[in-house]
Amino acid sequence: MNAATTPRSKPGLWLGLFFAAIAVIAVLKTTAAINPGTAYMLLAGSFCLLVPFVRATRRNRGACSSPAAARYTKGIAISSALYVAGLGIAVYLDNRMELEGTAGFLVALLPVLPIFGMIWVMARYLMEETDEYLRHLAMIGALCGLGLVLGVGSFWGFLETFGMVPHVPGWWAVPIWAVGMGLGRAFMSMRDRAGADE
Amino acid sequence: MKNRLKVLRAERDWSQQHLADELGVSRQSVNAIETGKYDPSLPLAFRIAALFDMRIEEIFTPDD
Repeated sequence: MNAATTPRSKPGLWLGLFFAAIAVIAVLKTTAAINPGTAYMLLAGSFCLLVPFVRATRRNRGACSSPAAARYTKGIAISSALYVAGLGIAVYLDNRMELEGTAGFLVALLPVLPIFGMIWVMARYLMEETDEYLRHLAMIGALCGLGLVLGVGSFWGFLETFGMVPHVPGWWAVPIWAVGMGLGRAFMSMRDRAGADE
Repeated sequence: MKNRLKVLRAERDWSQQHLADELGVSRQSVNAIETGKYDPSLPLAFRIAALFDMRIEEIFTPDD
């Protein structure tokens, strides 16, 4: 069965809603319109939008999805959930006690270990994916994420040096990277669909 | 790089999915190659040529 006869879900809609939610939360938090606790709750809630995104992606990929891609999707979903949980626990503890020394080091590792997990999942995907075009798409997405982190980080850093914007914690690198990767993948997906003839 | 993949596929009345299955790649890959958005690696180009029983240069040609 080809794409023309298969009812297609809309993963792009859910991914767009996810990124829009992240952007709105970032603006609200940066402008101090909401406190850190509220920002975290909203951020954790926004990750729920990834559930219908993953389901829609699976439906659309169908037989096209490689075993490596399935493992990648599952691994990223698990590590993302652990990241949100780790981030929430770390922020909660930081708000309620004076973290320092070994305890502070260990609490800081809570959201970082799932990030290492994400990096491992992505590296494993690039090693296991036998479809060279899908591997190419994954690398383009990762490079878009890296580009956005470097660009936004450098620009924000200079603005901060000039005293024009407030300080932003370094852990924003991961959400910004994810946004960049998502935008890159969405662009490639739209480009593919534009050229598809069946 | 230009290619005749779409024509060769149409001559055999194959869908993109069928060609993808024959080559062991995703339908996305076939579509990207057909539309010239992605140039296949040499090993994949050899597999394509073998499938159509042709030489690589009979399927793929440089832009200019």
